[in-house]
Amino acid sequence: MDGLLACHNTLEKKANLSKAVTDVQKLVEQLQSARDAVADNPDMAVLHMAKLKNPVKQSFDRIEEDLKEVNKGLNQYQKALKDKFKSSTLPTAGVGESGLLSRQAGLVDRAIGMHLLREGMFGVADTFVKEVQQSGTRGSVNCGEEMEGVELSSQQWLKDFTTEQQMTEDKYDEEEEEEEEDDEDLYTDDEDLYTGLEKPRLQERFADMYHILDALRNRHNLLPAIDWARDHSQQLESRGSNLEFELARLKFIELYTSSSSSSHSPHNDPFAGPLQALEYARTVFPTFTSRYRYETSSLLGSLAFAPALASSPYKPLFHNPSAWSDAAAAFTREYCGLLGLSEQSPLYAAVTAGGIALPVLEKVERVMAQTKGQWTSVNELPVETPLPPGYLFHSIFVCPVSKEQATDANPPVMLPCGHVIARESLEGHSKGKQRVKCPYCPQECLVRDARRVYI
Amino acid sequence: MSEMTSTKLDPDAHLVLEQPLLRLPHELLRKNLKSAQRQIESTNKGITSSLASDPKKPADALASLDATLAKAQNLKRKLEALHSEEKQLHRQQKARIDHLQSLHEVQSLADVKYDSWAHHRLDRLLVDYLLRQGYTASARQLASEKHVEDLTDVPVFEECGRIEQSLRTGRVQEALSWCGENKQALKKTDSKLELELRLQQFIEMVREGDMGKLMEAIAHARKHLAGGTGQDVEFGLRAGGLLAHPPDTLIEPYYSMYAKDRYSHLAQSFLKTHHDLLSLPSQPLLHIALSAGLSALKTPTCHSVHAVQPSTLTGAPVCPICSTELNELARGVPYAHHTKSCMEDDSVVLPNGRVFGRERLRILNEKLGVRKGRVRDPTEGMSGDEWNWEDAVVRRVYIS
Repeated sequence: MDGLLACHNTLEKKANLSKAVTDVQKLVEQLQSARDAVADNPDMAVLHMAKLKNPVKQSFDRIEEDLKEVNKGLNQYQKALKDKFKSSTLPTAGVGESGLLSRQAGLVDRAIGMHLLREGMFGVADTFVKEVQQSGTRGSVNCGEEMEGVELSSQQWLKDFTTEQQMTEDKYDEEEEEEEEDDEDLYTDDEDLYTGLEKPRLQERFADMYHILDALRNRHNLLPAIDWARDHSQQLESRGSNLEFELARLKFIELYTSSSSSSHSPHNDPFAGPLQALEYARTVFPTFTSRYRYETSSLLGSLAFAPALASSPYKPLFHNPSAWSDAAAAFTREYCGLLGLSEQSPLYAAVTAGGIALPVLEKVERVMAQTKGQWTSVNELPVETPLPPGYLFHSIFVCPVSKEQATDANPPVMLPCGHVIARESLEGHSKGKQRVKCPYCPQECLVRDARRVYI
Repeated sequence: MSEMTSTKLDPDAHLVLEQPLLRLPHELLRKNLKSAQRQIESTNKGITSSLASDPKKPADALASLDATLAKAQNLKRKLEALHSEEKQLHRQQKARIDHLQSLHEVQSLADVKYDSWAHHRLDRLLVDYLLRQGYTASARQLASEKHVEDLTDVPVFEECGRIEQSLRTGRVQEALSWCGENKQALKKTDSKLELELRLQQFIEMVREGDMGKLMEAIAHARKHLAGGTGQDVEFGLRAGGLLAHPPDTLIEPYYSMYAKDRYSHLAQSFLKTHHDLLSLPSQPLLHIALSAGLSALKTPTCHSVHAVQPSTLTGAPVCPICSTELNELARGVPYAHHTKSCMEDDSVVLPNGRVFGRERLRILNEKLGVRKGRVRDPTEGMSGDEWNWEDAVVRRVYIS
């Protein structure tokens, strides 16, 4: 990088057009004074003109020299660029003119649209959806025929993005100019989208999420989050989520400590906060006792230490600086989880993982190109692409016999001794016999006793 | 497990996609210099020749000097404009170098600084993708909201898109003037784009068919299509042949020459020429990075019929490939290669065949509020079967 930076500095400081501009200015001055001289003394015109020839030529030579220096600077920079990027070709990662992603532009667009929403960039998402809609109508006019079916289905997702406000606007438009048919097509099944809670309009959902998050993070206002958690109490519970209780606990703590922080309360009663908290606990905690008996009683126990909380065993619970951001993160996870989405943008995760994996793939491509080799397996990458631990989302089972990853077609099976191998390996190992010895321990078993396991 | 995961960051290898990022401002700087050269050359020629002419009368000399002066001043204005363009490009170039340099200061992939760098990169790649798809307004808005204007090339693509669109709607003028601006560079790469465009003009004249237009067409062909040597002769011959065939002909190659979709072919040819000239990759970089990432993350489980539904959470974060956004998209890409199993420690299997880490299973059951000594499959929540831990139904599995 240093080489490039040095070359860049040369360009910025020396090898640029500023000298040429100065020299042209000098030329202008030369011509100007010659012109003035001729105007003052017309008789000497021919002489002045003749005298001018050489200096003008020199000026242009100088200007050309100036440009040569710029050119030299650019050449140096180019060389530094070459040193930095040894290979001039980019890795392809299997992407070609007719590559998978080019054929599925609709799906890529959808992923981007959802990414924009979950990053909270509603303005950009709005513009984006409009532009995709426009290009959709444009595209089907231009290259109709074969693509039409694909185009239509790949634009289905747009429905999830339109907000109610846009829809009412569009409806209004339709009343005014009824021949606009595209609009009708896009919104024919408005009704089910309105009524069906299962089919959320993503834009609204994410706007809702950001609204709640904003309250939580920036204004330390728990109410919107608590309301949401109460509305989705059952779903959350069936997911084994603690969110509702976590929020209630945070609320309890907030009430508990509220009097000590609010200086404007008229009579500074040290027990006002704990009393409020107690009242809150009485109304809310009973619903939690079956699952959180220990936690609730512990919270209520803290009331006994009210004036001297800082020196009590409850201190870590009450002085947790990351409590709010933890709550916000937990909320995001659950909110996205209920929509079947991961908490971090998958597009970000995938592109970042791609950035990490690409150097390896690039090397493979280079070697393959040299040896004119081919990937032996179409379904699987030819090399390991190590990712940081946070990028492992599933357990991986590689059969210890065949070294192949288990798939639906070749699933893992567990022998009665507890050892797991792939089904094809077991079949190969048993060679059609009924009984088989485990490849990893002395135990023998019947082939039919091997059980499919789900990893 | 340690071999499969790595947080080591090798910045140089990590930048394999970033060459075009630095290439483009450089190519534009070259183009800028070429324009300056052209301006100076033509002014030089003009001034030298007018100084060489011997004026007979003093008044003529004065007029000639005035004209020369105007030329020089004009040159100065042009150079100043190019110089300010150059400054802009230098600023962009610096911003890009700094952006890549900042990666060299990150030690590990686990560093939060890497996270923010990668976010920055994603924004950049997205803007690039949006521009290439013609979603210019979104691209512009995203670039300004994310402050990546200097790292992206909105104006370049906007101009390129404008010309492409004009070709698609049947106008060649914009593309021709672009060819004029880049004449030298196009000659160097032996590009046929201009000839193709001239041929298209010829085709349109012949299509009209009346005598006057045909004469005009022939003159046009003489001027633009006949001059070539080698392969270029082909163009003249094809033009000649076209004269003998009416627009409704079914004979090739004239049928396809008259075809309206020749314009989209021209638009594509223009895009390719344009991108090659500026060292822009023909595919959006987002495709390359995304495709590699989908594969690197994908496991056979992601599209398995037995996959756990993302909405039934088991405490694990939802896999990006299983998430709605990418699941369909990832269906066709190969999955990552692994040579070793990667399982939770102390795995146990439930009677229904599902495998869990013992500790996680215990915690999940506790969260579900399952009674002590009993166990459920957390992926089924409270709706599935419940078993006794101790009935030896939950047993250890050995996975090597």
